[in-house]
Amino acid sequence: MIPISYNVRSLAVRKATTVATALGIGLVVFVLASALMLAHGVQKTMGKSGQPENAIVMRKGSDSEMQSTIEDPLVGIILSASGVAQDASGKPVGTAEVVSVATMDKFGTDGVSNVQFRGVRDDVMSFRPEVSIIEGRMLSPGTDEVIVGKQVRGRFRGLDIGQSVDLRKNRPVRVVGVFAANGSSFESEVWGDLDTIRAGFGRMGNVSSVRVRLESPSKLDGFEAAVEQDKQLGLEVLREDVYYEKQSEGTSVFITAMGMVIAVFFSIGAMIGAMITMYAAVAGRTREIGTLRALGFSRFAILASFLLEASLLAVVGGVVGSLAALAMGAVKFSMMNFTSFSEITFSFTPTPEIVIGSVVFAILMGLLGGLFPAVRAARVSPVQAMRAG
Amino acid sequence: MSTQEATFAASANGKPIVVLKGIHKSYQRGKEPVNVLNGLNLEVPEGSFEALMGPSGSGKSTLLNLIAGLDKPTTGTVSVAGVDLGAMSDAELAKWRSRTIGFIFQAYNLIPVLSAIENVELPLLLTHLSRADRRKRAETALKIVGLADRMHHNPRQLSGGQEQRVAIARSIVNDPQIIVADEPTGDLDRESADEILQLLDRLSKEFKKTIFMVTHDPAAAQHASLVRRLDKGALQ
Amino acid sequence: MNLGVLASRSLVRNRARTVLTALGVAVAVLTFVLLRTVLVSWTASVDAAVQDRIATRHKVTFVMTLPKHYAQDIGKIPGLGPSTYSNWFGAKDPNDENEFFATIAVDPVSFLEVYDEILVTPEDRKRWLENRRGALVGDMLAKKKGWKVGDVITLTGTIYPGDWQFEIAGLYTATRKSVDRSTLWFHWDYLNDALSDSRKDQIGWISTRVRDPSRAADISKAIDTTFDEMEVPTLTMSERAMNSSFLASFSAILTALDVVSMVILGIMTLILGNTIAMGTRERTGEFGIMRAIGFRPRHIAIIVLAEGLIIAALGGGLGLVIAYPFVEQGLGRWLEENMGGFFPFFDIAPETSAMALGLACVLGLFAAILPARRAARLNAIDAIRRIA
Repeated sequence: MIPISYNVRSLAVRKATTVATALGIGLVVFVLASALMLAHGVQKTMGKSGQPENAIVMRKGSDSEMQSTIEDPLVGIILSASGVAQDASGKPVGTAEVVSVATMDKFGTDGVSNVQFRGVRDDVMSFRPEVSIIEGRMLSPGTDEVIVGKQVRGRFRGLDIGQSVDLRKNRPVRVVGVFAANGSSFESEVWGDLDTIRAGFGRMGNVSSVRVRLESPSKLDGFEAAVEQDKQLGLEVLREDVYYEKQSEGTSVFITAMGMVIAVFFSIGAMIGAMITMYAAVAGRTREIGTLRALGFSRFAILASFLLEASLLAVVGGVVGSLAALAMGAVKFSMMNFTSFSEITFSFTPTPEIVIGSVVFAILMGLLGGLFPAVRAARVSPVQAMRAG
Repeated sequence: MSTQEATFAASANGKPIVVLKGIHKSYQRGKEPVNVLNGLNLEVPEGSFEALMGPSGSGKSTLLNLIAGLDKPTTGTVSVAGVDLGAMSDAELAKWRSRTIGFIFQAYNLIPVLSAIENVELPLLLTHLSRADRRKRAETALKIVGLADRMHHNPRQLSGGQEQRVAIARSIVNDPQIIVADEPTGDLDRESADEILQLLDRLSKEFKKTIFMVTHDPAAAQHASLVRRLDKGALQ
Repeated sequence: MNLGVLASRSLVRNRARTVLTALGVAVAVLTFVLLRTVLVSWTASVDAAVQDRIATRHKVTFVMTLPKHYAQDIGKIPGLGPSTYSNWFGAKDPNDENEFFATIAVDPVSFLEVYDEILVTPEDRKRWLENRRGALVGDMLAKKKGWKVGDVITLTGTIYPGDWQFEIAGLYTATRKSVDRSTLWFHWDYLNDALSDSRKDQIGWISTRVRDPSRAADISKAIDTTFDEMEVPTLTMSERAMNSSFLASFSAILTALDVVSMVILGIMTLILGNTIAMGTRERTGEFGIMRAIGFRPRHIAIIVLAEGLIIAALGGGLGLVIAYPFVEQGLGRWLEENMGGFFPFFDIAPETSAMALGLACVLGLFAAILPARRAARLNAIDAIRRIA
């Protein structure tokens, strides 16, 4: 087989052309990898919001917490169902919350956007140990105080420490702290006392959802059976992480689909670019190829060599594109999550699969683009090459 | 010759049309300057057919480039057709060349995507002649070199000798005072080379053009009225 | 024969490379046109939104309702034309959970008055008005679901749980392209009668025509000030303001699409630049001889720039030729039918085509600048020496 150094040197000699073509492939990889990273970021952000040992209970048929209504008396029944863990004093570990959206003025665009508000009980911090106050302090139960997630803090009018927003007429809620929640979607929410929020949104007497900590993830089926058996109650149970997966599915599928469609179109352009470059390379090296054939290298060796060269070119582009996409990790992307109709901030989250997959995609582009030129190279006969000069 | 062809004839009165005095030309190659021409003097009378021979690297092409206004000497004066080339800017030189000099090179003379007549027409694009006039002149030039029947052929369809003949036609179409030829027969076989040299003869004797030819070919030199030798940057 | 002819003939010389490059440009232009059409179509709702209609809804969140008597109270504000009220119903077809189409409860007579861009035949209108559980359905939605006038359909309520039956009473089309034709409207009374006391007599929002569109902002404020004194505060905006703020929540995606459409132009420029550079590198000898004969550097530059422009224009034209049938016959119709809410009409705007072609030509010239400068700067001697 022809040594790789031959290809490397040939690429290095045609520096400008190599760079231009590799850059084209790199751009395609950048776009695809970024889209995939964003889709993954969506899943991760939503996914972090749910734990496998928690279960969420909502009204049957609700697509999300926001559409669900559970009357107060049912909360106690749910919390005492079998399979629910108990704390040291024998109390069930669980909480009930109200969720709604409010329209807020967004800084930076001259429009408004929807922010999710969550009414929480005073035991919320012990139920969610991953949440911590990073600035200011926790809200006091039974008051008009709220805390804001770090992704919404400062991005909407009234959502910063010391500021306030009106829910009810003349009933403002004041921001006293900022919280972090391990990069989950909770960080795009505003949390307030359950009753305050209920009153603010006119939802006295019911909650959106009930969450429980199961004794162990395997207790889910038992809990589910206990809660769903009474059809009159009209409730359904989901494992918390599964619930959040479904929440993110629509959005992440949308982003993935868009990213792939765009990447396909772009890749056609990049492959044409690779084809032009490789055809020129073959045309310029006809004599060389003839010499190689005369020396005894087979047609297949020539074919493989040029395919390899195209792949090398593509790998360079793929790596550059992937690195650029990784740099996108510093960028925050906030968009409307379709299922909850509220704005959530996502980030571009890489995985080894995405990076490797992107480079493989680049190599594929190189192979496809370089195929016809490589075949032409393989067809060169030693005699014809000598004549070409 | 016909009246049309007569428009291409010059008047030869024997006075020097090229005067080079005290020519030094050196290039910077790395640290050391390389002296290509050393204190050279040259006079070429109008209407003469001169050949310049010498070993490779002796500076033949460099001298040719100075005469043709393609290059300037490091020191010394170049005066061609009464004009001091040293005083001219690049733009003025380009204009001067298009009116005064006809070029014949060893290879790659013709533009492959243009037909024979279009190649001959090329220098005339720099003039204010109308399209019809350009065509007429180009046709006449092709007739002089005997290729009028191939005027619409592409260089690919012409033999080496025919290509050079088209190049000669192009070199006279702008009615230059001097034709410079750099190895015009270098790539040709004996028969074609002879054809070319006979054409140059005709240009010199019938049309009274001044021809300055650089060549390796002793047979080519024989057609010239004067052969000079250049060795190590000085004329023998 | 002139410099332009030289440029175009040189392109023909290496036909394969020119064709491939033009194809590359064509694909780039096609993609660019698609992306821009998505952007234009998505944001079209803002431009097409009428100025003379305002919407009043709950101040805090669209999830909460207004008391029904607000729909009458609003009539007291001066400067208003006809007014109507609606509730978002949000039902689903039980056979296809993932499908989305809008279902809204309206007061039929005032609805058709306020939304006069909705076109209904007199027979369908009569049928709908007379049938309490009648539904007025967009022709695109009906076509997609295979519904015909007279069909009885069942939908599953989400906000208002349970199974709800409707009878297709008529189909509607619209006077304007930008109106979504995949919505189902039914009688508000039909919904209200089935609700419990706690949920009864609540409306989602009020739509009102204003007599003088230039006063829309003032009138909106007047409405909100009035209702501020009552039990539920409101927020009133013109339809255009509402659409534009809805879009604002997608601003990140729109920006991303914008960026991506620039990226494809970048790829296109690279392909063009690469090809032109290759072509000029091969012709140093030619250019050298032209310089010797007396052509100036700018002549050489013009030839190279012209080549860039010609391939770009060819590729751009080809891209447009492919784009039109692709969008008009294929993609556009599919999007209108299946995602009509987002893309009520998906056509290539003339501005988009002009922009695409124009950009292709400009970038073709731009891509040729560096090779042109390099080719022009080379002096005759160096150029010729390279061939000897």
